[in-house]
Amino acid sequence: MKFIGIVGTNSTASTNRKLLLFMKKHFAEQAEIEVAEIADFPAFNEPSDQKAPAGIQELSEKIEAADGVIIATPEYDHSIPAVLKSLIEWLSYTTRPLINKPVLIVGASHGSLGTSRAQTHLRQILNAPELKALMMPGVEFLLGQSLQAFDEDNNLLYPDKVSELEELFSEFRLFVTINQKLVEEGHYNTEEQKKFSWEQSEGGTLS
Amino acid sequence: MKYVGIVGTNAEHSYNRMLLRFMQKHFSEKAEIEILELKDVPMFNESNDQSDSAVIQHFNKEIEAADGVIIATPEHNHSIPSALKSIIEWLSYNLHPFDGKPTMIVGASYDVQGSSRAQLHLRQILDAPGVNAAVMPGYEFLLGRAHQAFDQEGNLKEEKTIDFLESCFLRFLRFTEVANIMNIPEEVKFQPGEYHVTAVGHNGDLPMTVRLTEDRIEKIDIDTSGESQGIADVVFTRIPSQIVEGQTLNVDLLSGASVTSNGVIDGVAKAVKQAGANPDVLKKRPKAASASKKEDEEYRTDVVVVGAGGAGLSAAASVLQQDKDVIVLEKFPAVGGNTVRTGGPMNAADPNWQKNFEAIAGESHTLEEMAAIDESEIDPEYLEDFRTFKQEVKDYIEATKNQKAYLFDSAIFHRMQTYLGGKRKDLQGNVIYGQYDLVKILTDKALESVEWLEDIGVEFDKEDVTMPVGALWRRGHKPLKNEGYAYVSALQSFVVENGGQIITDTAVEELIFEDGKVVGVIGKGLNGQKITVHAGAVVLASGGFGANTKMLKEYNTYWTEIEDDIKTSNSPAITGDGIVLGQSVGADLVGMGFSQMMPVSDPETGALFSGLQVPPQNFVMVNQEGKRFVNEYGSRDTLTQAAIDNGGLFYLIADDEIKKTAYNTSQEKIDQQVAAGTLYRADTLEELAEQLKMDPAVLVDSINKYNSYVDLGEDPEFGKDVFDLKVEVAPFYATPRKPAVHHTMGGLKIDTETHVLDQDGKIISGLYAAGEVAGGIHAGNRLGGNSLTDIFTFGRIAGQTALKDLK
Repeated sequence: MKFIGIVGTNSTASTNRKLLLFMKKHFAEQAEIEVAEIADFPAFNEPSDQKAPAGIQELSEKIEAADGVIIATPEYDHSIPAVLKSLIEWLSYTTRPLINKPVLIVGASHGSLGTSRAQTHLRQILNAPELKALMMPGVEFLLGQSLQAFDEDNNLLYPDKVSELEELFSEFRLFVTINQKLVEEGHYNTEEQKKFSWEQSEGGTLS
Repeated sequence: MKYVGIVGTNAEHSYNRMLLRFMQKHFSEKAEIEILELKDVPMFNESNDQSDSAVIQHFNKEIEAADGVIIATPEHNHSIPSALKSIIEWLSYNLHPFDGKPTMIVGASYDVQGSSRAQLHLRQILDAPGVNAAVMPGYEFLLGRAHQAFDQEGNLKEEKTIDFLESCFLRFLRFTEVANIMNIPEEVKFQPGEYHVTAVGHNGDLPMTVRLTEDRIEKIDIDTSGESQGIADVVFTRIPSQIVEGQTLNVDLLSGASVTSNGVIDGVAKAVKQAGANPDVLKKRPKAASASKKEDEEYRTDVVVVGAGGAGLSAAASVLQQDKDVIVLEKFPAVGGNTVRTGGPMNAADPNWQKNFEAIAGESHTLEEMAAIDESEIDPEYLEDFRTFKQEVKDYIEATKNQKAYLFDSAIFHRMQTYLGGKRKDLQGNVIYGQYDLVKILTDKALESVEWLEDIGVEFDKEDVTMPVGALWRRGHKPLKNEGYAYVSALQSFVVENGGQIITDTAVEELIFEDGKVVGVIGKGLNGQKITVHAGAVVLASGGFGANTKMLKEYNTYWTEIEDDIKTSNSPAITGDGIVLGQSVGADLVGMGFSQMMPVSDPETGALFSGLQVPPQNFVMVNQEGKRFVNEYGSRDTLTQAAIDNGGLFYLIADDEIKKTAYNTSQEKIDQQVAAGTLYRADTLEELAEQLKMDPAVLVDSINKYNSYVDLGEDPEFGKDVFDLKVEVAPFYATPRKPAVHHTMGGLKIDTETHVLDQDGKIISGLYAAGEVAGGIHAGNRLGGNSLTDIFTFGRIAGQTALKDLK
């Protein structure tokens, strides 16, 4: 299985990056996780040509090719960072690779709440018809006190959190497998749904 | 009413922009709405702080100045656009203009939803602690099908829609008034008094005293004697000084020291609470003015002094005494440098005063011993003085033959002790001793310096003559007030009251050198701003380099080894800056290889006055086995070398009587240190030995022998010949000690008028140096109590010479 892990921030000192790097290493035998950075993408500005910039296009193609996406989000002001929102806007406005794509949301925060409110927002956002990602219901991974959570080699030091993550990850793989079956059996109309236009939709709205 | 309206998107075409413009026009008689655009706002990035950029500052200032904010948000993917999120992130990171700001949310969308879900997200976001906007409840204005809502002039077509928008806006006008009442700063009233709280140190809590008057935070004192040095020192001075300056608890944390920074703020908040006031009110106050100053500054003055320790403040005071202008630049947040850390006594021979005191055992022996030195051992420039000294001793012995001996002294004796005490040979066989003309000035003008300080406002204790550690003679003039603070506070008050300007938090980085003359300095202020001072003369008084281990090791020619983690009794500010500045204009250096270790320092902090620091006649030193190992009355070098030879760590043993002779301590401090394990106390010597993991028999034997030598008046083992008390009254104490860097004797080469000299011995025009930054006086070893004499004498001369040259 191949996953794209998106670091949901442009901060150079991010514990969400550490979390993804840990997952990549820890689950190496079960899946290949490619960690993707979003810091260098331009800010979304609704260009009239509706074309994705080169970097976004490339990431979009990787997402298309992957079996699923893992997003690690920090929490800024009770929501996801602007830079992550910008990426999502690009994807929803141009190529829409997340439609019917299994997505796992994780998050790490310095405080004790572990990005709970940002994750709720992210779920609501990914639920928008122009995104229509397939999120595993009832699953959240909240890593609080993240500054103390990793050693120098990005090992997660909290044993209970490691086992929680292991359980979650195996559920996610099952979710992906089931989803692949649905795709194979032709239950989704993904290509049709991708033709979505912001102007025509009740869910997505133009500025 | 004045509002800021934020268009919540960076898109070229936006119905939300149209909506705001309509509101701007439609409500123009009720309020002024300034519309701000997001187009130029960079993506938020905490790793690349752009809070100071023009665009973010513009948002910040406009929002702060406005009575309220109206945000018009589109909906992207069921939430607000990233562009809007980005500006909110910028304005909740280092800046917080939304805090308490009345805010109205409106939104327009292409579909019927009218940004309903985005508005809910926006409410939650604006409620986050870093944003903390006062969002108007209810009155959701959702403009669906926005593409059909406006006419060609950009007016809303539907009357019903306009009516609802009006009712929302009228409500917001009212809400703005009410919500802004919450923003009126609350008065605070304290129950006046001194409140004892704690700050957070690296080695545990630090006692902190907060003095409050009815309406002011008057003073914050943090006892850092148990604290190791480094950046924390800055925390414990800068944070309190900004709190007091701004009467605010809204203080920037020091980067890399957020825990200790917060510890100070929390401690003061606790005191405020105990005084019956609400600390949150103080947290909402603006920051101290000095914390937000970022503009470059330029000054002109007669004399600029680099360093606000004893030498620098003396130079400044002497300039002011001649009615000229002076600016003192200090790189630390507080004045005082190393001077504020001294024990207090300053050497000056004052025979008329000293003869009121009885001589103590062994002193006449010391005199006779020095007088007996063979003249061949005296360097030629000192020979005449040596002969005079011998005559003085002879006269003194003659005069006291049939009466109780009094305490002898003379300027020449002080000079000979400074010279002989400073004479050393380094590892390469080079012999160094104090330059005669400089030592002569030091010792001849010492008493004048004491009198000058009395004029400035320092009060000395005339009832007691003391001998600081390593001083070799009782000629210490001790201020009545505590420690070095007595000098610094008197000089600081004098400078400030006489119109001198002291600029703290400003590190001088460059000398302005024009046409072969030093004409000013360029420094860097607290917030990175450039501080330029043009002056007729520059006095370097920035201290030595005791806190710069790298520099110590680079120049060292005296000690076999200086460890990388050696502690120092110095302020961490003492890093040789002035020496480097002098070198930049060609100054010569002298005696740089010689540094002084303080043998009796705290092993953890390098501090002098932890534990029981007593006069050396009451020192009883034992090594880690409990054995005495040295003549405790020996010079610092002897003690340091002996300590190194005995494994570094050793103990000062004291009894309850000796305890009473300790400097700068109190029963409370002693009890605290015993509790913290940095000082040992026991009811018997045996128990004390056990605490120290020594063989009790060995320690008891050492002490018994020592006591017998006190009775005898001499020490056949190590030759100690000046005694005071025995170790006999319980409880007994052991203070752990280890050598630490104390003083650097080398520095800029100066003449007797403090002109800095170049390598050809020529004066560098406009540049003067005084205090530890200069070399040549103390040579290989500085006597205890002589550096205060040095800084007050040569600091004074530097100010006088600078003005003389200006004429």
